[in-house]
Amino acid sequence: MIFRTPLEGIEHPQMEADVVIVGGGPAGMACALRLAQLIAAHNAAHPDAQLSKENIYVLEKAREIGQHCLSGAVLDPRSMDELLPEWRTEAPIEAEVTSDSVYYLTRKSAFKAPITPPPMQDHGNYVISLNRFTKWLGEKVEAAGITLFSGFAGSELLLDGSRVLGVRTDDKGVDKTNRPKSNFEPGYDLKPKVTILAEGTRGSLTKQLCERLGLLENRDGVIRNPMTYGVGVKELWELPSGRIRPGEVLYTMGYPLTTMEYGGAWIYGGAENPGGKDNTVSLGFVTGLDYPDPRTDPQHVLQSFKQHPFVLRLLQGGKMVRYGAKTMPNGGWWAMPPLGGDGWMIVGDAAGFLNSQRLKGIHLAIKSGMLAAETAFEALTSGDSSAKQLAKFQQKVESSWIRQELYPVRNFHQGFEHGFVSGVLNTGLLMATGGYGLRNRYPAHAGHERMRPLWDIMGYPKSREQLLGPAKGDGQLTFDKLTDLYHSGTRHEEDQPAHLIIHNTDICNTRCTREYGNPCQHFCPANVYEMVEDADAPGTRRIHLNAANCVHCKTCDIMDPYQIIDWVPPEGGGGPSYDGM
Amino acid sequence: MAETILVIAEQREGKLNRVSLETVAGAQALAKQTGWTVEAAVVGGESLAAPAAELAKTAVAKVYAVEDASLEPYTPDGFVTALKAFIESRRPKLVLLPHTYQVRDFAPKLAATLGAALVSDAVGCRYEGGKLIFTRQMFQGKYAADISVAGDGPCFASFQSGAYRADQVAAGDAPVEKVSATTGEIRTRPEAPFKEVQQAVDLSQAGIIVSVGRGIKELKNIEIAQALADALGGELAASRPICDAGWLPMARQVGSSGQTVSPKLYLAIGISGAIQHVVGMKGSRNIIAINKDAEAPIFEIADVAVVGNLFDIVPALTEEVKKAKG
Repeated sequence: MIFRTPLEGIEHPQMEADVVIVGGGPAGMACALRLAQLIAAHNAAHPDAQLSKENIYVLEKAREIGQHCLSGAVLDPRSMDELLPEWRTEAPIEAEVTSDSVYYLTRKSAFKAPITPPPMQDHGNYVISLNRFTKWLGEKVEAAGITLFSGFAGSELLLDGSRVLGVRTDDKGVDKTNRPKSNFEPGYDLKPKVTILAEGTRGSLTKQLCERLGLLENRDGVIRNPMTYGVGVKELWELPSGRIRPGEVLYTMGYPLTTMEYGGAWIYGGAENPGGKDNTVSLGFVTGLDYPDPRTDPQHVLQSFKQHPFVLRLLQGGKMVRYGAKTMPNGGWWAMPPLGGDGWMIVGDAAGFLNSQRLKGIHLAIKSGMLAAETAFEALTSGDSSAKQLAKFQQKVESSWIRQELYPVRNFHQGFEHGFVSGVLNTGLLMATGGYGLRNRYPAHAGHERMRPLWDIMGYPKSREQLLGPAKGDGQLTFDKLTDLYHSGTRHEEDQPAHLIIHNTDICNTRCTREYGNPCQHFCPANVYEMVEDADAPGTRRIHLNAANCVHCKTCDIMDPYQIIDWVPPEGGGGPSYDGM
Repeated sequence: MAETILVIAEQREGKLNRVSLETVAGAQALAKQTGWTVEAAVVGGESLAAPAAELAKTAVAKVYAVEDASLEPYTPDGFVTALKAFIESRRPKLVLLPHTYQVRDFAPKLAATLGAALVSDAVGCRYEGGKLIFTRQMFQGKYAADISVAGDGPCFASFQSGAYRADQVAAGDAPVEKVSATTGEIRTRPEAPFKEVQQAVDLSQAGIIVSVGRGIKELKNIEIAQALADALGGELAASRPICDAGWLPMARQVGSSGQTVSPKLYLAIGISGAIQHVVGMKGSRNIIAINKDAEAPIFEIADVAVVGNLFDIVPALTEEVKKAKG
């Protein structure tokens, strides 16, 4: 099996720049927009000392801005009000939230919480499609004069010691055997003064940076928790009007998960469709990537959720129009990496700016992007982008409302490490103590470490079939993984090396089969990983990759129990097509 | 005098591309609604006699062989210059073409030089209220859009393969008229066409396709399917896992990341019918599916469903076919 590795002996065109933002999601877009605003204001005040916007670039691996953006989503308007005060009149909004409710599901029943717990109250928030919203932000960024390179991935970090020199974009036209094709184009070496990593959840360059610079080690008196994640598997539905009204927000906990798993579902009512007969509804399930049973299949969990009588009656007569999946970092404050250093900053989900209690991160991503832009602006005007200068980003975050929001929930997810019941009890305790709980910093374990080997889970109750193995689907309201995947619109250039690098496939074919039963087949929401009969060694199976199916969720990079999978970006332009997601 | 529908047929090295007959069938269907006359034209060098004669066997008013030595081999400049002059002299109301790779190459340029509209990859056409309405698919077939064309000039449209049936062409006996093509500057000089190292396969031209999926289990079992394909006179194809494993070349892959085919007969052997495969063959006229899983999704679109072991059924089927063919 040949994986995507950097080609040797290739000359890469060099391009100097002022700022490069890797990633065109809400954090990257907010950063670019804020930077443009600051430069415009500066230029208006200093007509003889103008700054140029021409050397600021945003790299986005999708073919179009927003195409890889997937979220529920409910947006807290706080940061948008700061970034673009008139945004409500211009931005695509599905609906203003009209009601919110939380349900606890058992196998057959649904119990509504008498009041929605305050962190999940959404009054004043907005149901949006992150794909559409980011696309609109992209238009604003381009109108503001910043260049967006879509179809270009940030492929490798360029480092000199501990200084980030820049980013190398993906080589185009490399064939399946990792050799140049007739349309080969080497990636560009972009060398900005400031590199801002806004890659989103489990960013590949962010991972490279943290590994090469040892950013996640405990040092300088700071102890860091490992980042933990959940995977959100989402379907977009057209439902008959009245079932879930625009602006109606529901959260559920419990079934189909058991007390051993973390997670829950969302159902958000979106806008009415022309004709008034139906409206778009966003529906999905977040499964914590710290479950014990290696046969757990998050896509199956979503299908089982839909089969619950409470949900089934909502979906009757409806039509599933889009499918997708994405992980989200729920580790909280203690799991965030250092935010700025010599020539670099990290914003958005890549740094873990997410409030796991409220299930919201978009507003934090936007605010973090804005603060990074202010820091970058100061670096440009002072000519200093050293670690000392960019560490100011960390200070800005800590003195902003980001800390006010994230610090009190710093132990929220860790509280669930021993199951649902203790999680709820812990949450109560944490809320009463301003987040301190029993000892200010609750430790956490990386999710993949919580996976039990097969012999350990044999004793677990049988009533867990709704989580395990592949979903069958009835083709109407529930779907098998391949049918769901078809609706993600995912497409890649076929003749390219596999971008999911497995460092030791022998482990897959021998040890992992014995110990965990190859959980990659189950946790990947896109059917990328399959164990197939080995034609050369009849009776045995080996790992096979359907790399072109990948939806860029990063679950494999996170959850593989041996941590031998490295997700790197495929050739730019490939990936899912999350219209309306 | 009635308006004319002109069908531009496609030929290569003296052989008529079968899909041109589908376009003729479409033109004839439209002529019934409008009362217009159908004529056909084929463009090329010296080898037009055979394709023109084949077109002449259909119920069209006339067949034109638009020829000049410089038009062999095909070049976009050559074809556009020749057809522009020809169309200006004949003034058809509507020009229909099959949506082939070659048509995709020259038709936009041709329509643009005439200032005419081109509705490409249409799946149907009708005449309503004095207007031509073309139907096009959008969003991978989720929506169908009706398109009408404004303006007086000739209107161009290309039909998607399978939109009309070549076997529904009304037969006739048309005169063939040779036309000396107008020539002009040709800016490109095509090299000799080359085939892939493996034998090039064009599944879109196959009338019968025998397709295998994971159910075939091993590479060596594919010869069972090959035997059936040979007996039927059809082509061998496969679903994605077979081609991914390298058991058959990518050129034989049918599906969303392979080819879309619409043969008269499609035999799906050991294919489960995942949606990614089905979108590549659901336009087939007749679908026979053989699978041991009674709940395989392929059976939802199969015309004939055979639930059983393909290793028993396919060899027996091959024998029966051979006997029937004598």
